[in-house]
Amino acid sequence: MISLNSVTKTYNEGRPNEVQALRGIDLTIARDAVTVLKGPSGSGKTTLLSLVGCMARPTSGRVSLNGDVVSGLPERFLTELRRTTFGFVFQRFNLIRGLSVLDNVMLPAAPLGQSHAAVRARAMERLEALGLVHRALMPVEHLSGGETQRAAIARALINDAPILIADEPTANLDTELTLRFLEIVAALRAEGRAVVMTSHDPRIWGAEGVDTVIEMRDGQIAGEYA
Amino acid sequence: MIHWLRLQRSLADFTLAALGRRRGKNTALVLTYALVVFVLASAMFFAAALRHETQLVLADAPELTVQKLVLGRQAQIEAEVIDQIAAIRGISGAKGRLWGYYYDRISGANYTFMVPTDPDLVPPAGSVIIGEGIARSRDLEWSGAPLFLSRHVGDLQKFEVVRSFEGDSALMTSDLVLMNDADFRSFFNVEPGLFTDVVATIRNPKEVGTIVEKASHAMPDLRFVTRDDILRTYQKVFDWREGLLAALAAAGLLAFVIFAAEKASGLSAEEAREVGILKAVGWDTRDVIAMKLWEGGLVSLGAFLLGTTLAYLHVFAFGGGIFAPVLKGWSVIYPDFALAPHVDALQLTTLALLTVVPYVAATLVPIWRAASADPDAIMR
Ligand SMILES: Nc1ncnc2c1ncn2[C@@H]1O[C@H](COP(=O)(O)OP(=O)(O)O)[C@@H](O)[C@H]1O
Ligand SMILES: [Mg+2]
Repeated sequence: MISLNSVTKTYNEGRPNEVQALRGIDLTIARDAVTVLKGPSGSGKTTLLSLVGCMARPTSGRVSLNGDVVSGLPERFLTELRRTTFGFVFQRFNLIRGLSVLDNVMLPAAPLGQSHAAVRARAMERLEALGLVHRALMPVEHLSGGETQRAAIARALINDAPILIADEPTANLDTELTLRFLEIVAALRAEGRAVVMTSHDPRIWGAEGVDTVIEMRDGQIAGEYA
Repeated sequence: MIHWLRLQRSLADFTLAALGRRRGKNTALVLTYALVVFVLASAMFFAAALRHETQLVLADAPELTVQKLVLGRQAQIEAEVIDQIAAIRGISGAKGRLWGYYYDRISGANYTFMVPTDPDLVPPAGSVIIGEGIARSRDLEWSGAPLFLSRHVGDLQKFEVVRSFEGDSALMTSDLVLMNDADFRSFFNVEPGLFTDVVATIRNPKEVGTIVEKASHAMPDLRFVTRDDILRTYQKVFDWREGLLAALAAAGLLAFVIFAAEKASGLSAEEAREVGILKAVGWDTRDVIAMKLWEGGLVSLGAFLLGTTLAYLHVFAFGGGIFAPVLKGWSVIYPDFALAPHVDALQLTTLALLTVVPYVAATLVPIWRAASADPDAIMR
């Protein structure tokens, strides 16, 4: 369970370009569910996701994971949570250009100090499951849009993260690839993982695998639908 | 420990893959850097070898050399004076030496002529023993060819070459011509009973200072030169040469500093983003920094090894071809020899530290900042 209590996030605090991206968020996200954050552009979805995924700390309020407050932890612990608990699929995917798909997928495992062969085998398994084995040694910039996304998912799963976080995962996908993505989400859910994603894509809100939709507006929660 | 090794292996793997992406740029980087190291290391090896060489020469330099001065310049010394020198208390023996310089118009080089004090080296009448440099510059490398010497237009003297020799110190012997007493006197027109200078042996080397002081007082028109004096002179000559090398080395270092400063000035937007990505997927600040250490270490150590290996070959296998003319040459006869490999471990370590540490530090500074920022910026 991930809970947020009176969370605010202000960018450029005290400066003329100050932005209040989140204003008092109280929210609970279940671990055994697929949760979607929806809302117009600029409503704070990405910001909220970055706090949930321990990529940044709130300006005020608390974020806790399974009852433990994580928002006040030192950077070292947040890094460890990002490595072990969360798998990220970024809106721009953020694969490292010039490296092969396999190298990219293995990246989050590097700090673990596991045997190279074991990590490689695990990466190949993930790529296999996502139908990307034939692309393993190709530089990532040669992949198509759908392949890039699946490579990013494989990377997010390499450390067996129990929570997958995805920011606008279907923004650049056609209907067929969107359905393919939803299948992957359903499969992850079946494996017992939680999925938290943002989307302003109606194809996602309505999808049958989605358990909860949270609507945001101007940095606040405007509604929650199960 | 295994964990640590595996972590380092993963980081090194990543670094190599990342460096491989800009192969051209990184190769150019390593080569430029290796060139700087090459210049520095060559200068260093060369200077060390020269010093080593000098020590060899001075090891068999006479303890005391006596010259006669007339009008402040060295003049020939009479046989009677030699007897007076030998009679000085504390001096165990004195011998007159015959030597002089000769400008060879054929090769445009200066030779040193000498009557050897060692009887085994004295060639028979009409013959000479020549240094390897002379043999080479006059194309006398095939045996049996005579040496022709011309003191002025219309003059031609023929000498049989008994053999040429290669000394421990080719630097000092390559322009040497040895002949016997009678040939020397007739070639240079030196009257019997006159010598170029005198070498003396001393009973107790510790007393050399006192002996020289007393002797100078008793015979004011003679100049007494001790081995230490010679040492100092050589040191001055070599210091000057090393100064030149130091200037070269400074130029190399300057190039390096500019290079490192460029590196330290900041990360490209793409590099900063990559660091953000690594942090976002769970790399610790320490992991990112360790990875950059690998990068800096691989680049600078690679360049160091390449540069020093090339410098070693340059100096010891190819006689320091690039610097040799500046460094050795008062004569056109450069010794055609390999300087004895002589590497000073301390100097090498200093060079390694001087090149590797600043570069690694320069790569780390900007990374530190990028790696300690929150990674959420990459979500935009
Ligand atoms: N790093 C930042 N610096 C300044 N303002 C930011 C930054 N990130 C987001 N914002 C602002 O915060 C608000 C919320 O942004 P975001 O969370 O990206 O919304 P969404 O993902 O719903 O489009 C926007 O007004 C955006 O301009
Ligand atoms: Mg967004």
